Amino acid sequence: MNTNRQSRLRIGILSFAHGHANSYAFELEQRDDVVIAGIWDADPERGAEMARRFDTIYYRSKDILLGDELDGVIIASENVHHRSLVEAAASAGVKAILCEKPLATTVPDAESMIRYCSDRGVKLATSFPCRYAPSFRSMREKVLAGEIGEILAIRGTNRGSMPGGWFVDTSLSGGGAIMDHTVHVADLMWLLLGQEAVSVYAESGNQFHHQSWDDTGLLTLTYADGVFATIDTSWCRPKGFPTSGDVTLQIIGTRGVLDLDLFGQKLVHYNDASQSDCFYWGSSLDKDMIDDFLLLCEGGSAPYLATGEDGLRAGAITSAAYAAVLLNDPVNVDAGVEQRVPAYSL
Amino acid sequence: MTYRVALVGAGNMGKWHAEQWGHVPGVEFVAAMDTRSNIDLSGTPVFSDWNTMIAQAKPDIIDICTPTPFHREYVERAAAAGKAIFVEKPLARTLEDCDSIMAAVGKAGVPAMPGHVVRYFPEYASAKQIVDEGGVGHPGTVRTSRMSTFPNITGRENWYADPDQSGGVILDLILHDFDWLRWTFGPVNRVFARGLFGSRHFMSALDYALVTLRFASGAVGHVTGSWAHTEGFRTTVEIAGDKGIVEHDSTRSAPLTVALRRTDCGQIGVTVPESPMRPQEDPYLKELQAFVRSLETGQTTPVTTEDAYEAARIAFAALRSIETGKAVTL
Repeated sequence: MNTNRQSRLRIGILSFAHGHANSYAFELEQRDDVVIAGIWDADPERGAEMARRFDTIYYRSKDILLGDELDGVIIASENVHHRSLVEAAASAGVKAILCEKPLATTVPDAESMIRYCSDRGVKLATSFPCRYAPSFRSMREKVLAGEIGEILAIRGTNRGSMPGGWFVDTSLSGGGAIMDHTVHVADLMWLLLGQEAVSVYAESGNQFHHQSWDDTGLLTLTYADGVFATIDTSWCRPKGFPTSGDVTLQIIGTRGVLDLDLFGQKLVHYNDASQSDCFYWGSSLDKDMIDDFLLLCEGGSAPYLATGEDGLRAGAITSAAYAAVLLNDPVNVDAGVEQRVPAYSL
Repeated sequence: MTYRVALVGAGNMGKWHAEQWGHVPGVEFVAAMDTRSNIDLSGTPVFSDWNTMIAQAKPDIIDICTPTPFHREYVERAAAAGKAIFVEKPLARTLEDCDSIMAAVGKAGVPAMPGHVVRYFPEYASAKQIVDEGGVGHPGTVRTSRMSTFPNITGRENWYADPDQSGGVILDLILHDFDWLRWTFGPVNRVFARGLFGSRHFMSALDYALVTLRFASGAVGHVTGSWAHTEGFRTTVEIAGDKGIVEHDSTRSAPLTVALRRTDCGQIGVTVPESPMRPQEDPYLKELQAFVRSLETGQTTPVTTEDAYEAARIAFAALRSIETGKAVTL
């Protein structure tokens, strides 16, 4: 708190509904040249608690926070509120916005957010921290250097345990496991292939938790030239599973195979009292992403940071997947399908 | 009585069967037939002509280990001759040939068992048992994979590389998974697949397929088949249900790893994992023993031609899905 206000970047955080906000705030705290100017949260109790934790001010009114000379805003609300909060922040004239993934719950919402920000000269970023995993960056360098030749197929997973809370209230989340877990891996595939998926096939289900929302998702993406990929998005991990979630990729190339376990750097801990536990000791994924976001807030550029367009591109695969689930047929990603999330009868 | 066994097709699989037959009680391994003249089966007579072999060796059991496209011909000959039949998987290369095999076996009324040996691999048998006993609760997703290098045959034409003969990883490799999955999780309603079959990459000895299965139970399956890997052979299984998960990964369960230092005299360094079992528990031996036991007791073979037919239907649906780009309903 010893640098003067003018020289420090002022960042506001809108909502801690998504737990990732904790990690973003932590990374902001590590920077001497950044101040968390304030927190707004629809839940006053949570907002006040987080303001205490991160030594900042809780604002009951987001408009007052947004009016307080912010350079950047981070949004980690429930998915369906991303659009209104991004547009509110853009109206307030911040330089840059980092929005938690998925950018939006529908393609039209994402398109509107991108247009709204670009019309006002505000840079919109999507939170895709997996891009920043050193293991993924190394994998991508090898791919771009042609070490495994031409990519023919990718097998991806982002499995995890059921997150509960608003994530399973589809009026707030926009969908279940497919909504939650498709976009991370879809974005990594975009970075590896540099081309958009042409069509998506998907199977879904509710066999794990037997609720109205999807807890099972298995997508097949087809790209130009016959390149294909699958993504398993299922919330299939039981309570006793030692890791909460995984991100894995197997890339088949004409000259070799790459296998990535993005959270593979972990210790396993056993004791008498409980089941085994895993401790990830690999690099923080959020550190480099937040640093890139702060470059945007300074008026600079951060070409590796996921943009609103990147968020839209990944989200379009989610929408096509939900359409495919209802049709049992591949759906073209650009067909402008009307999104209907399956609701299982119980 | 002692069953007299004759082998048709003494390639890699046939030679391994020949060795196992020597350990099956109640069986005498009497002959082999192969159209190639240079087969050595340590003293067992090898015939190049079917009729001569049948007349001279007088077998009771015909064990068919030919390349896939020849299964139909020899099943029909064996059935017409009233022999008990063991036939390697897949049942046949086409659904038409599978139909003919079913008709021939049905008409002759002879016992016939297909070689879906994965059911006799202890990790797969145990995984099914855990599922059957409710260890994972209600299954939601099941993922299996079978990954190796492109199969190589030295000294003659590599029929695996001919899509019209082998059917690639879908029909030759992950057919194993299709059978085990059907056995464990019941019938499959819908198949969607993408793969290199039919592409120019297959013709450069690369095949890889990712297959989605929708079971009648509602469970979702994902099967990886690879002949695109650079070394080794790896299998994995992950069954997730509403009460738990069962995992198998052959790279993590291999109890012995042999790593040889690279030498200067042209020998390359390699690391080879080994997962040895008591010879009496070899899965191929166990399936042949189970077949013979069913003949002795007059019971249905433990794996039926109907099972093989259904597994093959899943494979043909996957191949059709790759060709058409659509999901295929069974």
